[in-house]
Amino acid sequence: MFARISLAAIAIALVSGCSTPSPVLGGKNISYGDNKAVELVTNEFGSTDLQMIAESMTRSLAQSGVLSGRPVVQVYDVKNKTSEYIDTREITTSIKTQLMKSGVARFASDNNAMQSQVDQLKLQNQSGLYKKNTVAKTGNMIAAQYRLEGSISSIVKRSSDYKDVFYKFSLQLIDVESGLAEWMDEKEIRKTTER
Amino acid sequence: MVSRALTLATLLAAVQLSGCSVLRSYDSELQETNQQLAAGNIDAALALLESNNKGEQKDLLYYFEKGELLRSKGDLVGSQLAWLSADSVVLQWEDAVKLDTGKYLSQFGSYLVNDKVRRYEGYDYEKVMLSTQMALNLLAQNDFDGARTEIKKTHEREAVIAELRDKEYLKREEDAERQGIKTEYKDLQGYPVASLDAPEVVSLKNSYQSAFSHYLSGFVYEALGEKGLAAPGYRKAAELRPNTPLLDQALLALDKNSAKPGESDVLVVVQSGLAPARDSIRVPLPLPIDNQLVIVPLSFPIIRDDTSTAPLSEIYLDDKALALTLLNSTNAMSRRALRDDMPGIILRTSVRGISRGVAQHNLNKTNPMAGLVLGLASAVVEGADTRTWRTLPDQTQVVRLRLAPGEHQLSLPTRLGGAQVKVKIDRPYQVVSLRVVGNRVFAGGPAVEVAPQAPAQAVAALK
Repeated sequence: MFARISLAAIAIALVSGCSTPSPVLGGKNISYGDNKAVELVTNEFGSTDLQMIAESMTRSLAQSGVLSGRPVVQVYDVKNKTSEYIDTREITTSIKTQLMKSGVARFASDNNAMQSQVDQLKLQNQSGLYKKNTVAKTGNMIAAQYRLEGSISSIVKRSSDYKDVFYKFSLQLIDVESGLAEWMDEKEIRKTTER
Repeated sequence: MVSRALTLATLLAAVQLSGCSVLRSYDSELQETNQQLAAGNIDAALALLESNNKGEQKDLLYYFEKGELLRSKGDLVGSQLAWLSADSVVLQWEDAVKLDTGKYLSQFGSYLVNDKVRRYEGYDYEKVMLSTQMALNLLAQNDFDGARTEIKKTHEREAVIAELRDKEYLKREEDAERQGIKTEYKDLQGYPVASLDAPEVVSLKNSYQSAFSHYLSGFVYEALGEKGLAAPGYRKAAELRPNTPLLDQALLALDKNSAKPGESDVLVVVQSGLAPARDSIRVPLPLPIDNQLVIVPLSFPIIRDDTSTAPLSEIYLDDKALALTLLNSTNAMSRRALRDDMPGIILRTSVRGISRGVAQHNLNKTNPMAGLVLGLASAVVEGADTRTWRTLPDQTQVVRLRLAPGEHQLSLPTRLGGAQVKVKIDRPYQVVSLRVVGNRVFAGGPAVEVAPQAPAQAVAALK
């Protein structure tokens, strides 16, 4: 009986030991924030806008019913028509990640990853460095059934007291064979700053 | 006895002040350094810079100048190290501004301290140009990823500056109203107003945004395949310098894939001349002292143009003339910075002039000798801040072209010495930077080789 209680006590001690939070070093003015917190530091394009756009587009596309049978999609760069340095690739990466995680689509190598893909195939097939039965064969890459492309534009208005920024993000899914746009959606965001 | 002690204390203070940095003439120090640079004696210029900055604690200006001199020497690694030190000072400034803008503004707007005694923080355009020049150093070594980091830093820096200046101008308007100072720079008798009202100054959107920096951003992002970020770079550049075909073309070409296989997209950057100097001018201003309007001579900064280098409108590539497009003028930015700062300078100088006048007036009543000494000390100490990054290039011009890989010959017009530079093109995207001062061309990096130029000339010391 005593042995059992002792064992249980040791187990509890061990488990509670595991859950002890890691010690914090320094950092009087530094803290981790909630990555989903609404960011209103300035009225330039920010993390909340990126998350809002990615979530709204993913939901709309996943619920549209177009992506039945996990089709292969090629993602193109989103055209930035604003004067702001918005890393539009981060928006498409978020959309891609969420669609991938929900398992509704597969993605072909996009323009930027294609060079690395080709280089790797060449290396495996032409360098003579690899075991033949492990080498990826050329000519087996899966072509995309759809391409996903879009744009972001903005209208900025200023007065001495106000700054108003209106963003419009549009995205469309086009059937590569027919050239038809099978799905399209847009997200509008308005941000106003008062001096 | 008390009055004697007071006189002695005032005299001592004056002597001490004359020994401190208040009397440092940055203009003459750098005039000499720049003469050495223009004559091709970069080592002598560097030695001069070191001899003028013997203290252990180096200031921002030292690192600014050292970075540019080492860059001219072709020591890109040394230049980058010096500028990294400058960059850490600017980052500290950014942190101070971001942490508590209000506190920073109230410290900066202090009426007690003469501008030239303050720790040098750099003008906004200098902070922006610092990361731009650092990007050019990295691009000369074909390090586009490193340049991207510097360019991103430039955007973030611009955003901090924009927000700070918005708040500063608002606060200044309120302060001026409270202090009852209504003088504008246009009211200063004998002040060269036209130099601040020149069309190239007034047409700038502000003092710190550079069309060249944004165009370079566009080029770097395009080279890295990030068209979504390249587009705003070109667009911002076009907004800052409207009606410039090169900028409009860059934006149009971004969507077309007009490159022919085997061709390189080459950006030739020619930076010529030197940043203008800041000088001090005395202007009599009527100030309300003891309920009377007293004419007090006060010092204000003016901009003095650099004349070291003749204007450049074209260069030759393999003996074919190429027209250059001007994207940045430090001279215009410097004037614009002064134009925007003048209301604050007038406010601070006037308030200081009034308090000094009141103190001298009161001292005259009790001890005329001490009053006289204070007056003399004030006359010595009072002067405009003439510090500014002087080795920074004045004009930045570019030409963009498609070149076949291999060796090419760039040359300057004969009236500028006709220096020859061998350029090796071996990348899909490449930036070739040339620095022209006087009749000399400086360039660094593995892709360029400057043909031997006339031996460096001896420059007589000014002192």
